[in-house]
Amino acid sequence: MDTTSKELVRQGSDGGKKRGLINSPLVEWAMRYNFILIFLLAVGIATSLSSDFLTFGNIANLFQQAAAVGIVAIGMTFVILTANIDLSVGSLSAFAGIIVALLLQGGMSGWLAAPLALGVGLVAGAAMGAISVYGKVPSFIITLAGLVSLRGATFLLSDGSPIGGLPSGFSSIGSAMVPIMPGSDLLFPVMGIIFLVIAVIAGLVLRYTVFGEYVLATGGNIEAARLSGVPVRAISIAVFAISGLLAALGGVLLTSRLHIGQPTSAQGLELDAIAAVVLGGTSLFGGRGGMLGTTVAVMLLQVLRNIFNLVGLGSFYQMTITGVIIVLAILLNRLIDHYAGRT
Amino acid sequence: MNDYVLDVSHVSKRFPPNVIALVDASLQVRPGEVHCLLGANGAGKSTLLKIVAGAHRPDTGTMQIDGKPVDLRSPQDASAAGIAMIYQELDLIPQMTVEENLLLGHTPRRFGIISRGRRRTLAAAALKRIGATFPMTARVETLSIANQQLAAIARALTGAAKVVVMDEPSAALNETELEKVFEVIREISAAGVSVLYVSHRLNEIREIGDRVTVLRAGKTVETFDVAAVDERTLVSAVVGESHELLERGEHAPPREAFALRVKRLDGPAGLEIRDLEVRQGEVVGLAGLNGAGRTTLLKALFGVQPSTGEIELFGEPYRPKHAMDAIRRGVGLVPENRKTEGLVLDAPIYRNATLAHIRRYRWLSHRRMKTLTHPVLKQLQTKFGSLTQPVRQLSGGNQQKIVLAKWVIDGAKLLLLDEPSRGLDIGAKADLYRLARGLAEQGAAVLVASSELEELYANCNRIWVIHEGKNVVCFDPAVTPSLDIQQATIIGRRA
Repeated sequence: MDTTSKELVRQGSDGGKKRGLINSPLVEWAMRYNFILIFLLAVGIATSLSSDFLTFGNIANLFQQAAAVGIVAIGMTFVILTANIDLSVGSLSAFAGIIVALLLQGGMSGWLAAPLALGVGLVAGAAMGAISVYGKVPSFIITLAGLVSLRGATFLLSDGSPIGGLPSGFSSIGSAMVPIMPGSDLLFPVMGIIFLVIAVIAGLVLRYTVFGEYVLATGGNIEAARLSGVPVRAISIAVFAISGLLAALGGVLLTSRLHIGQPTSAQGLELDAIAAVVLGGTSLFGGRGGMLGTTVAVMLLQVLRNIFNLVGLGSFYQMTITGVIIVLAILLNRLIDHYAGRT
Repeated sequence: MNDYVLDVSHVSKRFPPNVIALVDASLQVRPGEVHCLLGANGAGKSTLLKIVAGAHRPDTGTMQIDGKPVDLRSPQDASAAGIAMIYQELDLIPQMTVEENLLLGHTPRRFGIISRGRRRTLAAAALKRIGATFPMTARVETLSIANQQLAAIARALTGAAKVVVMDEPSAALNETELEKVFEVIREISAAGVSVLYVSHRLNEIREIGDRVTVLRAGKTVETFDVAAVDERTLVSAVVGESHELLERGEHAPPREAFALRVKRLDGPAGLEIRDLEVRQGEVVGLAGLNGAGRTTLLKALFGVQPSTGEIELFGEPYRPKHAMDAIRRGVGLVPENRKTEGLVLDAPIYRNATLAHIRRYRWLSHRRMKTLTHPVLKQLQTKFGSLTQPVRQLSGGNQQKIVLAKWVIDGAKLLLLDEPSRGLDIGAKADLYRLARGLAEQGAAVLVASSELEELYANCNRIWVIHEGKNVVCFDPAVTPSLDIQQATIIGRRA
């Protein structure tokens, strides 16, 4: 470490001291990453409820179930960081899932069918982003239209019924398990690995590329970003393209896991994804948040579901309580923002 | 009958902590007259208007309407007392029809249900008084700005106004439209309604006004009969009598080479700039009244306002279409409003400071971004706790230095500063201009717009006066009394 950065680190802790309540680096860390503490709390509760919770098999299972929502939520995080929203991801997932099923049923190779379906997602997302940017229409409206239309198109393509008869090679990916290390007998789901790899890449993109910096700046203050030479329109379109691509990936993986193209799949997926993004501390007003938060929040929601199942609460209770927990988490973030002098 | 319909005497208004907007302002409006209010930027016109309209309460002083003392606690009080305010940004609801707008707030009703027939009669009567040529069923957003002004006047009349207050109505109108508004003003004043008309255009005052009250530095200077006063007297009442040269530092002479040569630049809102040049090492000031076009000029030079023309930048043709075109050529803009246009307030200092610079990279190194930022902030003598601190936590002066640092880090050679000292205290202002001069001495060219003439005086090699979109006169502050420059900002030519 050279002298300058040492000095910076020292100044960093000095700056913290002036802010009253937040008077130690540990407290500052705890406030910033509060979602991790909440996550650990949930894990603690689950562990105390059942000795089966903290077993490798159960954890692998949690990742298997959370992967599709997680992948979609990563894309959603980019969109929300620019102060936009993408409501179309659930329908786009189902749409891509049906397209890949139809192509495979028609005899196309999975190596071609899957990229084609992903391309459709990318283009559909970019198109919605472009309409929102150039038509000066809020993304809420455009993607709401996307939600309705794409679901309709999914039913049209599939004639309203599931599409089966997919080649077993393709179907095996979604449920495949691989050893975490060569020779180990601990098996981890491929879908979970894909989710984690994408989360890591997205996190790196956000922090270590100019693109990521531009996403944060566009969401933080679009006018200041524009006047600093940030191509704000291109950035806005790009985040929708990423969201579309990842939604399609989620849909393709779901089709693989279910062994059928299911036109009714992924209904309400957009809401799960948005809930995870917001729970992970990303601001709906844009400019603040990140991939770590989203990833942890996706797993937190999955752990909560697991807890509800362990104590035998039905899905009606689960929905109700999940909503309440989300509201509490948001209020907590507001409070922390307030003390950190950000509001 | 009372002499004055509106009598404001000796009001003062102070905005904590330390802005004194009005010291001792008085204003007497006779029934049926067009009374103009004249003053330079910051003289206190807006504050006085807001007091008359009930939006502010004075700290001291009294107000009488028709000889009776009043205490206006809200705009509703003012309108009940017969004062109708027409703001510059018209407060009509664009999606509603003229008829609906005219009676909004006092819609005739019975048991909560609108009496449409009665509303139509009242609206028609008001429109007839102003001689409107547009139908009352038209939605306001479909009308021209002039007709919207007329609709706003008609609305004032439906409320049985005794005094109609108009805040710089001419700013958004062209000449024929303005003439239409003037006709209506003459008609309603002939019918006994008084008009309080705020403008800083002398020719308008001459055309429409009966009397004119001049405000300077929060005080009423004098009230004149328009017909009996000459321009010279009026202008010196506005700018005061200080003929001395304001204080200014010794400046290094600029270099020979031109940084910017604007041969011709035409843009929105009547912007017509001819032959404006900035040399390397030179600080050129832009003086002018609010709305004269200084911001539009700077934004056009930065590529974010559409414009046509012929410009050379460092000897090469220059036609920016986007901010990026300007930035690539070494131009940086410090915009008028640092909070909404200059900074990402919740982002850390170093990320704001490097936002323009990082386009040169694909991968980010946060360490490099910090090591780039640190020396520049030291050079600019910025006070901050840590480079990772959100900009929001800094004081205004230090925030402005971050905006400036953005362009210093990127190596901009032409800096466009738009009201850079707004909201800063005296020390921070001095700092900022010292930095701008320092950058100029290192070879940068600086074009700075400010409403504070003293600042331009102290720091510029030359000062251009911008008047109604045109660059009208160029002064050398070393040999020009400030009075001459101030007069030029008002009358648009050398006095």
